[in-house]
Amino acid sequence: MPPLAPDGDGAPAGVTRREFTTWLGTGAALAGLSGCVREPSEAILPYVHSPGSPITAANFHYATSMAIDGAATGLLVTSRDGRPIKIDGNPEHPATLGGSGAQHQASLLQLYDPDRARYCVRGNRRTGWDALAAACNPAALHVRTGARGAGLSLLLEQSSSPLEAALLARFRQEFPDARVGVFAPLATHGAIDASTALFGAPLIPQYDFTAADLIVSLDADFLAGDPFSLRHAHDWAIRRRRQPASILHVAETIPSPTGTMAINRLAVAPDEITSVATALLATIAAATPAERVGESRALPPRTTAWIDSVAAALRAHRGRSIVIAGPRQPPLAHGMAAALNESLGNVGSTVWYTPSPFIDNYTLPRGDDALAHAVDGDIDTLIITAANPCYGAPPAHNLSRRFSAIRTTIYLGDYRDETAAAATWHAPAAHYLESWGDGRAWDGTVSTVQPLIAPMYDGRTAAELLALLIGESATGRALLARYHPDAARNDVLQLGFIPGSAFERRMPRVAHRALLAMAETLAPARSSSSLLLSITPSAAVYDGRFAGNAWLQELPDPATRLTWDNAALIAPALSTRIGIGSGDVITLRTSAGVIDAPALVVPGHADGVISLALGYGRNGTGLVERGIGCNATLLRSNASSFVEHLTLTRTGRHQDLATTQQHWSIEGRRDEIIGPPAGAPPPERPALPLYQSPAPDPAGLGRDQWAMTIDLDLCTGCSACVVACQSENNIPVVGRAGVLRHREMHWIRIDRYLDGSLDDPAITVQPMLCQQCEDAPCEYVCPVTATMHSDDGLNEMVYNRCVGTRFCSNNCPYKVRRFNWLAYNDPNDELAKLRRNPDVTVRARGVMEKCTFCVQRIRHAQREAELAGAPRTGAVVTACQQACPVGAIVFGSLTDPSSPIVASFNDPRGRSSLGELGTRPRVRYLARDRRDEVDRS
Amino acid sequence: MPAAFGPRATPIARRIVALAVAAAVIAPIVAMVWVRTPWARGEHRTIVQPVPFSHPLHVTALGIDCRYCHRDVERSTQAGMPSTTTCVACHSAAMLATSVFAPVRHSLATDRPIRWLRVTQLPDFVYFDHAMHVDHGVACETCHGRIDQMPVVSQAASLSMHWCVECHRNPGPALRPLALVTAMGWNGRTGGDPLIREYRVRSLTNCSTCHR
Repeated sequence: MPPLAPDGDGAPAGVTRREFTTWLGTGAALAGLSGCVREPSEAILPYVHSPGSPITAANFHYATSMAIDGAATGLLVTSRDGRPIKIDGNPEHPATLGGSGAQHQASLLQLYDPDRARYCVRGNRRTGWDALAAACNPAALHVRTGARGAGLSLLLEQSSSPLEAALLARFRQEFPDARVGVFAPLATHGAIDASTALFGAPLIPQYDFTAADLIVSLDADFLAGDPFSLRHAHDWAIRRRRQPASILHVAETIPSPTGTMAINRLAVAPDEITSVATALLATIAAATPAERVGESRALPPRTTAWIDSVAAALRAHRGRSIVIAGPRQPPLAHGMAAALNESLGNVGSTVWYTPSPFIDNYTLPRGDDALAHAVDGDIDTLIITAANPCYGAPPAHNLSRRFSAIRTTIYLGDYRDETAAAATWHAPAAHYLESWGDGRAWDGTVSTVQPLIAPMYDGRTAAELLALLIGESATGRALLARYHPDAARNDVLQLGFIPGSAFERRMPRVAHRALLAMAETLAPARSSSSLLLSITPSAAVYDGRFAGNAWLQELPDPATRLTWDNAALIAPALSTRIGIGSGDVITLRTSAGVIDAPALVVPGHADGVISLALGYGRNGTGLVERGIGCNATLLRSNASSFVEHLTLTRTGRHQDLATTQQHWSIEGRRDEIIGPPAGAPPPERPALPLYQSPAPDPAGLGRDQWAMTIDLDLCTGCSACVVACQSENNIPVVGRAGVLRHREMHWIRIDRYLDGSLDDPAITVQPMLCQQCEDAPCEYVCPVTATMHSDDGLNEMVYNRCVGTRFCSNNCPYKVRRFNWLAYNDPNDELAKLRRNPDVTVRARGVMEKCTFCVQRIRHAQREAELAGAPRTGAVVTACQQACPVGAIVFGSLTDPSSPIVASFNDPRGRSSLGELGTRPRVRYLARDRRDEVDRS
Repeated sequence: MPAAFGPRATPIARRIVALAVAAAVIAPIVAMVWVRTPWARGEHRTIVQPVPFSHPLHVTALGIDCRYCHRDVERSTQAGMPSTTTCVACHSAAMLATSVFAPVRHSLATDRPIRWLRVTQLPDFVYFDHAMHVDHGVACETCHGRIDQMPVVSQAASLSMHWCVECHRNPGPALRPLALVTAMGWNGRTGGDPLIREYRVRSLTNCSTCHR
């Protein structure tokens, strides 16, 4: 409002209050009139030069690969009119065989992330690649760092790219004295150190889970959390389907997807795994020198019982078993696993060894050594391609402050993150969907990276930055063709990998003397009163590199169902002992630092240890990750994932945790909800349908009748399907506040049910999605018939008819309908428009939505068949089914005799969830076989 | 002091109330009738395109088939619009130099597309598929009208859901032999049962046929 007039009579100068109100009212009235005007016509923008064969508005698929910490996974990316819109596993690539993980699926969101760095920055000034090229061409670098590059230092991302290897070799010719190190916060080298000591060569173990009758996992989440887990899960599922099914014993800390599938799970602190492995070896191979390793530690009775039962099982499956140690474990645990596999005769059949896929095969300094090596001494120029080391480095390295002593620090990164803020230059990194390159899968298979779209934000790859350093002018495909011509061939790019390029298998012998020497290093047992901090990768944001990804932030953690946060995970027993409950904020203190974190009690978590996920508590400029969680790195004294002497203090504060499931007990209703265990007699229960209506008239039924089964004997709860569905169906995120109000929008939720004691529960996961009931309770109550039944058995949702009464959701017994409480999809977000699936309506505020069985894919398949003038052949694959690494989801038409759904839907293990209601779901759950499980009582 | 309300106050008040009630009833009726009129649906509205392209000239005088320019119509959900180079391929340099071709020249020179304006606009929540219609004997003319007689193209059908569903319930009358789908002004016997069988046309009235 205008200021008071200077004459002081109190009347304001300019517009009077009355005039202001008049204009306000007129404005509002005129604004209302604008609704009467027809919207202007949409523009149609044809090509200037037609690209030839590709038709418009059709999907095309291209093979590429994505590397996380250097291990490449082959992907098949769907492109619509030049825009990548969906990511799936490459069915022919040995690292996936068709499945994909949540992080692969969600990487699409990051391509279109408005937070990504868009241009080169020097200091705080915007500049360009030309300026950067002038600063780091070989001539300029020689002037600054000496003839042999003594003042030059490279801190690289862990990489498996032969292209980068070739460029690095050239770089070392040009700058022989330059320092090169590799840093990734979660990179581990226990297996390599063990192999170097025991075999005399740096090798990593590889496994064939299709041939393993018995698997013993020692802190290894091989089904969901290792670089080759898509393939492991695929192979494990093949063997699991064959009767008698393979047996899985797991010793681990957090109930991981792998532990969920175990018949015998031991909750144990991660630093006790070595003792467990040692005791196991002593029990199995009493005649080997390992017996002298002995039981150096007194183990609790539950652990001893686990070891005895596992040892007995291992003896019974010699040559057909696998002992696998987790990547975070120290060399001794890997050594013991290697010795166990050797003495059981597994090496050569289910286990073998290969070099690692990384370009240096662990010859370059790594972890703490790399950080110290990179910044110590007289360094003039430091070039960083590692992912955000200023966040991921343990605080003792004080990396940000060390940067200021270096004249030029150049950081190639995709976000303006902590490292970008500390570096003098920040260059935008290209997303892998914008890049030409290559890499190796965990088994060594050479995989190609080809772009789906031109760089959106002027980003370049690490290889292109390396090329600048050696004065190589080629970029993109030309660079690949010059340094790795095999990977730039059209036939290879089309396939996505070079067939047969996996490493040769090696079967080295364990040097038992070396094993004994290693065993001498076994540290004395932690006292039972001392707590251990276990720093874990986040199942969603990994080491923080996906922290800006809202799909992953909102993905419920498989073990805890926690979203948008990390928490100090504690066992129920510990929680009772120290009087801390879920949501109580505690102060964690180690020798390295102090942070506050909310506690979260996790049934099945090991006692005496607190787990905290890395990747949260970020200080960058990203809108998504800001202010979320706490930074576990601050508690690390070195690159090890385990920090001893943790102390806890209560703060008295409480923090709400955005978990999507608060109640874990199935309350004795197992039979109704997930079905009795396979093999158990069917429940004797009178059918008392709540909803009674005549069966549908067969004459009114369509040609196809769609149905789905989900095999709970295979589903690990890895959550890849959740993100795949989100990507396919344009599902929005609601943010932390939304999840706290239970407004999450995922069309699939993974329910987790616990039986038995909280310390050692039997865990069952059940993906819950719209059951497409033949007699759907939601349909009766919609006042505007916005949800209808199709003649091919789909419970359809017509978004444009929905007026948002939410009656349907109230009447749904499965609670799978999701309501758009707010306008989660911004209609003016141009970047999101590029990303969305154009075949699925973007829902507005006030509209109900739910799983449609990917009706757009069904209709597309029917369309293709009709256009071809032939009956539909092949399967319709839903997004969740396509992503599932274990193939737990079967989908198809019950009227199609060639479809596997017919047999699967009639499997004797099949149960309808809440079938007694009489809703006749078109989704059936194949019950988990728990006959072999150990008695938990 | 005179009375606040005179003898006529009551009948005036009655009339005001009656009018208000009538307005409350009539206004929605008028609005609901209005949205069903061709004017509200945008039929016959003229839209000025950046290039005064004449369909009568190209279709009738020159006899060019629809599919020469709308080349994806038999394969894609979208009919497709011709690229700038498609226009230039036929038109001589002399013609291109005239002022009406300025947007074409500009498009070629700057490598930016010509901004055509959509005439037949379905709501975004409707998934219409050109190929599925054209390949099953539904002619261009059925929905787009006599394009060959429209110097300026306008919307020829109501595009209401009622109009769509009428045909989806009983597709027979809209069918014609495939060889004639692009023909204009065809008044032969409509297809009916033999064509329904031959082209395996089904009545598709599932919501998800169009809404996904």
